[in-house]
Amino acid sequence: MNRSNKIWTAWLVILAIAAMAATHVAMAAEPAKSLSGTDALAPAPAAATAPAAPGADATAAGTPGEPATDAQAPVAAPDTRALDEEIQSIKKDVVDLNRDLFVLEEELLFPANTQVAVFLSMDVGEFFALDTVELRVDDKQVTKYLYTPREAEALLKGGVQRLYLGNLRVGNHELVALFTGKGPNGQDYSRGAQLKFEKAVGAKYLELKISDRQRKRQPEFEIKDWE
Amino acid sequence: MQNRWNSLFLLAAVLLGAAWTATAADPAYRLLGKTAPDFALRGTSGANFRLSEHRGDVVAVAFWGSRCGTCGAQLGTLSRLVDTYQSAGLAALAVNVDDDQSAAASFAVAHPVSFPVLLDPGKTVARQYRVDNLPMLLLIDRSGAIRYVHRNHRSGSDAQYLEQIRVLLDE
Repeated sequence: MNRSNKIWTAWLVILAIAAMAATHVAMAAEPAKSLSGTDALAPAPAAATAPAAPGADATAAGTPGEPATDAQAPVAAPDTRALDEEIQSIKKDVVDLNRDLFVLEEELLFPANTQVAVFLSMDVGEFFALDTVELRVDDKQVTKYLYTPREAEALLKGGVQRLYLGNLRVGNHELVALFTGKGPNGQDYSRGAQLKFEKAVGAKYLELKISDRQRKRQPEFEIKDWE
Repeated sequence: MQNRWNSLFLLAAVLLGAAWTATAADPAYRLLGKTAPDFALRGTSGANFRLSEHRGDVVAVAFWGSRCGTCGAQLGTLSRLVDTYQSAGLAALAVNVDDDQSAAASFAVAHPVSFPVLLDPGKTVARQYRVDNLPMLLLIDRSGAIRYVHRNHRSGSDAQYLEQIRVLLDE
């Protein structure tokens, strides 16, 4: 074997080793990716302190992705109270900051001069089971909301939902609300309500109100302007 | 001698090709670690379901289509896992992305599962979740963050789902 052949052999061996190493790294990449997400999101002692899920046996404790082990737990125990208090304090600060940020964001995105908010409330609901509400402002769809049974139940218990928050310039506008759901005898039911209103300087609040008209045994849909 | 060199060269090329394919075939899922976008969809039962109503539970969201070969197997696996771990806080939602809702309904009848089957004919939710392959399974933790993603269902996937679901349930 001459010198150039030896060099070729050496190169090929290096290439083969590099290829095998790359394959190995690539195969390990997906679990590592998931674990990095786990590490970033889950506090280290969570696995040790959280109650075990029913059916989760001892093998679950040894699964990859759980940073804490039984051997490490007693060592970390003395500092946990102070650490816990610090965590709670930081959590409270984060919640406060988040609230302030939310208020500031709303003030910036929806200034009082152009703000329009539409709320939805339901009363009784014997003749109508709400499924969806579509809102159109000046013939343009601004929101379409699908209600789950729990949300409809919350509305029936007296909840008021802010369905839409947006901006409108000063002047005359038209709001159209389309309601779909189940009617008095369980059949599909669709109705609309319309309101022409004038937007002045200052925030505008409108309420969509669904109530039962007992005399006609039919639901009633109205849009109320909160002056 | 020349034949041996050719075979060695071929072997190296094949190994390199395999390594490149393995690294390039599964690009990182952009939403991994981020909060799962909320959605509400109508189920095959007629009721509506909203993802955010399951906050506090570990949620498995499976995107599937009636023409997908391995979707039925994945839904079956998920159904068994939900049966076992429901009491520990595991919930699942199967989101169908077929244009033809009747095909989805008949598939759902043929593959009964113990969790809601939702319809997304407009693919708005599938787009939100950047679904690029079927089946696609997302595991969402109790705080609402996407923690694991599976873009396929293979023979060893069942054990992987179980392991990852146990990790999330224990948190």
